[in-house]
Amino acid sequence: MKTTKTIFQQGNHKWVAIVRDPEKPNYLVDTNEYLVTHGGKGLLLDPGGAEIFPAVFSALSAEFDPSALAGIFASHQDPDICSSLALWLEFNPGMRCYVSWLWSSFIPHFGGTADTFVPIPDEGTDISLEGLILQAVPAHYLHSSGNFNLYDKIAKVMFSGDVGAALLPPGEDSLFVEDFDRHIRHAEGFHRRWMGSNEAKRRWCERVSQMDIDMLCPQHGAIYRGADVQRFINWFDDLQVGIVKA
Amino acid sequence: MNALTMSTARPPPAGDDLLRIVRINEEIKRVVGVSFKINIMALNAIFLAKRAGTAARGFGVLSNELRVFSQDLRTCMEALTGLIHGCVNEVSIVLQDIRFARLLREAAELAPQSAAIAVLQRREDENEAHRQKLASLRGQLKRALEDAFQMVELGGVLAKSAKIEAAYGQSFAPSLSQVSGEFDGIVEEIRGSLESLRRSAFFTGH
Ligand SMILES: [Fe+2]
Ligand SMILES: [Fe+2]
Repeated sequence: MKTTKTIFQQGNHKWVAIVRDPEKPNYLVDTNEYLVTHGGKGLLLDPGGAEIFPAVFSALSAEFDPSALAGIFASHQDPDICSSLALWLEFNPGMRCYVSWLWSSFIPHFGGTADTFVPIPDEGTDISLEGLILQAVPAHYLHSSGNFNLYDKIAKVMFSGDVGAALLPPGEDSLFVEDFDRHIRHAEGFHRRWMGSNEAKRRWCERVSQMDIDMLCPQHGAIYRGADVQRFINWFDDLQVGIVKA
Repeated sequence: MNALTMSTARPPPAGDDLLRIVRINEEIKRVVGVSFKINIMALNAIFLAKRAGTAARGFGVLSNELRVFSQDLRTCMEALTGLIHGCVNEVSIVLQDIRFARLLREAAELAPQSAAIAVLQRREDENEAHRQKLASLRGQLKRALEDAFQMVELGGVLAKSAKIEAAYGQSFAPSLSQVSGEFDGIVEEIRGSLESLRRSAFFTGH
């Protein structure tokens, strides 16, 4: 089973990270899921693949009533992001799924009906969770061509999807980045190969460095906090991406 | 170069059904192809009988019957193909049901206090309805196959009678008996195909 860690709390406004499953088979990439709660409702960010649904569901329901999930935010269309969609909908068929307009007719192959999807325009949008405004921030081509991060101005938390992702070796599984230089080695190969556009990366770095962020939360690996957030942005800005040695 | 090899993974029971249906469908395609051949052979036989005149009148009548038989057989095979497609669809749903039920069951075991148990129950009720629909399609397919079998029995009788009639064809007797021999061979081939379909584990369950 996965574990839950509350990474931000202010009254009933919470960010909960659902991470690390010792029983997960190795052929499935490890993922982090995040739950944002406010006013008794929840938004689940990148709920994960179908095969890990039992682990995510059970960890989440220890913390929060799954039927109070108002929606799912899918940063992009990958199977590790949202192939569990149909299973979540079994609990709450009225749940909405926010995703880039690019993918709003592709993801229904994972489940859902015409009413499920709320397409996000390229420039992003605000999503209200019981009055809490969450901002879908464009991160196109990083790596998906229709890709969004989600920013919470109050909590100063940015969910960054595959940006900042690291594929950690066994044993290195702390929730937060402890030693940036050591950590970033596990992120380098991923960013070089998965990210396709230096231009898009430049724009993302410019946009995000102007935002007030305490925690940058990727979908794989560890969370960057404090000074490591800007350290990551600078590192990413310098990295040449979209390179294949072939 | 990367040699293409398959993993040794076994399909789940419903996956076995899908493989069986694929094989049934291939066999049906073969029967359709063969029955098309009978149609052409019957047309040739009708012309041959016309040329042979009164001596081959009986043969001509039988050739006509065989032509009708080949058309009926094709209609029957089309109905079987339609049922097969229905079964493929239903087996696919059942396969998905099995996966979802497994994941929900795991969730319910890990979180016994949650709504997972109620959701699992509802899902299993729906799965049961899908299984029943598949069972009913399986029954329909089995009956349609029996009908086809009966039809082929009749075809066999026609081909054998044509063989006897050919002997009365005087100077045309050798060519008539060759044609009727071919008829008989093909009807036997179809009978063989249908026999193997009847024995498919999709119907017998093992
Ligand atoms: Fe991805
Ligand atoms: Fe990912």
